[in-house]
Amino acid sequence: MVQQQELETVDININMGPQHPSTHGVFRMVLTVDGEKVIDVEPHIGYMHRGGEKLSENMDYRQGIGYQDRTDYLTQFLNEQAYCMAVEKLTKLEVPERAEYLRVILCELNRITSHLMFIGAFGIDLGLFGTSFMYAFREREYIQDIFEEVSGERMMYGYFRPGGVVWDVPENFVQRVREVLPQTKQGLKDLDMLLTNNEIFVARSKGVGAISAEDAIDWGLTGPMLRASGVPWDLRKDQPYSVYDRFDFDIPIGQYGDVYDRYLVRLEETHQSIRIVEQALEQLPEGPILPEKLPRKLRAPEGEVYAAVENARGEYGIYIVSKGGDKPYRLKIRSPSFSNLSALRTMTIGNYIADAVAILGSVDIVLCDVDR
Amino acid sequence: MIGILKAMYVTFAMTLRKPVTIEYPTKHREVPQRDRAFPILLWDKDVDEPFCTGCHACERACPVECMTVTMKDNPLHADDKSKRRKIIDEFWIDYGRCMRCNICVEVCNFEAIAMNNTWAGHELSKFDRNDLVLDLDQLLSQHKQEKIDTWVAE
Amino acid sequence: MSMPSAGINIENAWLDAFVGVIVIVGLMTVVVMALIYIERKVAARMQNRLGPMRVGPHGTLQSLADALKLIGKEDLRPATADRWIFELAPFAVFVPTFLAFIAIPFTQNLAISFLDLGLFYVVAVTGLSFLGFLLAGWASDNKYALLGGMRAAAQLISYEVPLVLSLLAVSMVAGSLALHEIVEFQGRVPLVVWQPLAFFIFIAAVLAELERQPFDIPTAESEVVGGPFIEYSGIRWSMFFLASYASLFIYSLLGAIVFLGGWNWPLGAEAGLWLQLIWTFAKTSLLILLFIWIRFSFPRLRIDQLMSYCWKVLIPLSFLQIFLNGLVLVYGWPHIFLLLTSGAGLALAGYIIARVGQTEPRKVRLIPVRGGRKATASLTAPEGAEGGSSA
Repeated sequence: MVQQQELETVDININMGPQHPSTHGVFRMVLTVDGEKVIDVEPHIGYMHRGGEKLSENMDYRQGIGYQDRTDYLTQFLNEQAYCMAVEKLTKLEVPERAEYLRVILCELNRITSHLMFIGAFGIDLGLFGTSFMYAFREREYIQDIFEEVSGERMMYGYFRPGGVVWDVPENFVQRVREVLPQTKQGLKDLDMLLTNNEIFVARSKGVGAISAEDAIDWGLTGPMLRASGVPWDLRKDQPYSVYDRFDFDIPIGQYGDVYDRYLVRLEETHQSIRIVEQALEQLPEGPILPEKLPRKLRAPEGEVYAAVENARGEYGIYIVSKGGDKPYRLKIRSPSFSNLSALRTMTIGNYIADAVAILGSVDIVLCDVDR
Repeated sequence: MIGILKAMYVTFAMTLRKPVTIEYPTKHREVPQRDRAFPILLWDKDVDEPFCTGCHACERACPVECMTVTMKDNPLHADDKSKRRKIIDEFWIDYGRCMRCNICVEVCNFEAIAMNNTWAGHELSKFDRNDLVLDLDQLLSQHKQEKIDTWVAE
Repeated sequence: MSMPSAGINIENAWLDAFVGVIVIVGLMTVVVMALIYIERKVAARMQNRLGPMRVGPHGTLQSLADALKLIGKEDLRPATADRWIFELAPFAVFVPTFLAFIAIPFTQNLAISFLDLGLFYVVAVTGLSFLGFLLAGWASDNKYALLGGMRAAAQLISYEVPLVLSLLAVSMVAGSLALHEIVEFQGRVPLVVWQPLAFFIFIAAVLAELERQPFDIPTAESEVVGGPFIEYSGIRWSMFFLASYASLFIYSLLGAIVFLGGWNWPLGAEAGLWLQLIWTFAKTSLLILLFIWIRFSFPRLRIDQLMSYCWKVLIPLSFLQIFLNGLVLVYGWPHIFLLLTSGAGLALAGYIIARVGQTEPRKVRLIPVRGGRKATASLTAPEGAEGGSSA
């Protein structure tokens, strides 16, 4: 009698990316799948490496700002803020109060646009055919218009300078922001209704890619990823920089650290950002926007300094070593996307292929920020 | 079930709203006054020469080194028509390299350079990337023909 | 048994068949192009956009331009693909869809052919199309395509069951498998009133059969990048596309005929040919719009959720529907009991879906931050801001 042979199954490797619609840029995951289950993930990064850190060593402290816009291209103002804070700390520049308020307003608006981008793209990752993306982008566009009116650029603002901001905002700035905020709230309500309670959305995201608070801290996660796991860590609260200690706002934290919590945390953060902007507009003082004794060429003393801001993705830190002169000797960027991405493997293994996409989407990476 | 119905309500309600699309190539959105396209040079109409004296300040400050500047003695100065001792001889800006950071405008001592804030500054697609290297005449032409109202921060 | 006369009466059987084929293919192409245009426009409005606006007035010629472009494109085939299967797979999807058309009556007198087992035939031939997806997925020699093909096979076969069962429940009530007789049964009340649960199952199963959101798992753009179609281009790709929109049309037509009363309700069979045609197509459009609406409102399910939804929810419910129908029909209770039982079943289905998604509404916890320090004259770096934490 012929003994019946057992059917042999083979794990296959799937190359997801660098050209794949849902890897959010040129990111490559090599998935080892057993049928539909992911049993191993190997992330490959570096496709977007432009040597921004090295380039910054040849840039003086004003020129370097342009490169900060180009790391995390969804939260440019926040990156500029981190860079300017580092330089200010190094050169002991004092920032005028009005400039600080303007920075806070723009940074928080920028956080809203970044989170809107996340919500929209996350909908696409889960298979919503562009609807959430369009709604999110519509709202983003109104805020983007303000940025353009203020700085003149749509993406690479280059608006902050060590010591303040490069020029004052237009006359009608406060009024324009007040006009746009209700619109943003309405747009967020649309997105909320479209996604938050949608049973299919919930079924796809609840309990997927959960990471515990301990693991999240061990992996060095920051930002919404960490807060979704239930750790109330926010640099705006724990190391208040700029004028953040003057505003009342809440820090949303999740419970389970899964994809759904990350979405909820980000959605709530947009509301809190709106609150901060409203308060900052109330308190916005008149006055200069750059320190009076600003040298034409900024020269830093010897020393090293680290300054970090709470970026939309997490802790965006700039570490500068100066050996004197007008250029940094070494500049290191602590980018949140890179650290958050490191937990991808832990989160993904054991889930389905579709979940791998959702998890990657929920990390909300910006590949330019990962590779720099 | 309620969530699903809510989602369907949102998409339905949205069909009743006016679309926000601007049909771009036929209709142009108004660009704000501070809009930053690429840098252009400005023309001094009183003396009929460029403001630029070729001082190399912008060239040195440019993070991506997209500018090439040479200066010469100003012939109009010799005729006592102009106060500028030196004047720009040749000026090239490689728009393919420029990252529109506005630093050249900031460092300019003569307000001779400004960022283009018209649509003409954005719609620059060319077949050859060498065509994106603009020379002095091209850089000056827009302001010379008074087609632009530039904005430079004080 | 005497058959109602067909719309086109030509003596020669071959000529008759030939004319039928021409009519089907011509009609389908036009319908598909119109459908693509409508879907793009409706989707655009749902997303606050304008949709195609460039080619022709309001973009009406966009589909035609796209079709021309697709015909003009190079027909590429990967070097490692299984040649014959790869090239013939589109036909395996394309042909069954068009075959289904033969048996569908548009009005009382207009159909290619009035079959006594019309419902059975339509379900049988449309069920074949999964084979094409599987073949395409296998022959492309691409892992995404293979995954997509396997997903398509699993999904289409599974959802065939509730689809058939829901239609079976309807034909129990109507007492016939002939589509025109089912329509005639609906002279006064369309069957959707008597069979809401079956209608719901039908819609869900059809969405899965059509591979549209929330069941577009085989072709999932963000996961397997088009699935079985990934290696196809030009005319072969457009054949898949044509087939998918043709099935959208056919299933909507089937739904309009079987559930919404076709040409017969509310005007009755005495209305003229054109009125009947208009009613049929109006109901079809209604279903198509519903499918488009659903497509742009929902995210996609995961493959395991899809399967458990089919086997654990839809199939038991469709058995329940058949059982309830049997109960009512055997004892000869009035039709209102059909509505009551089926409606109760629908409520149960809604409850199950609500329960599955809504285990507990989750909220984020808010940690308040209170800004103590109000504006001061000069700003210095606040305490605690010095130094970094972790790098």
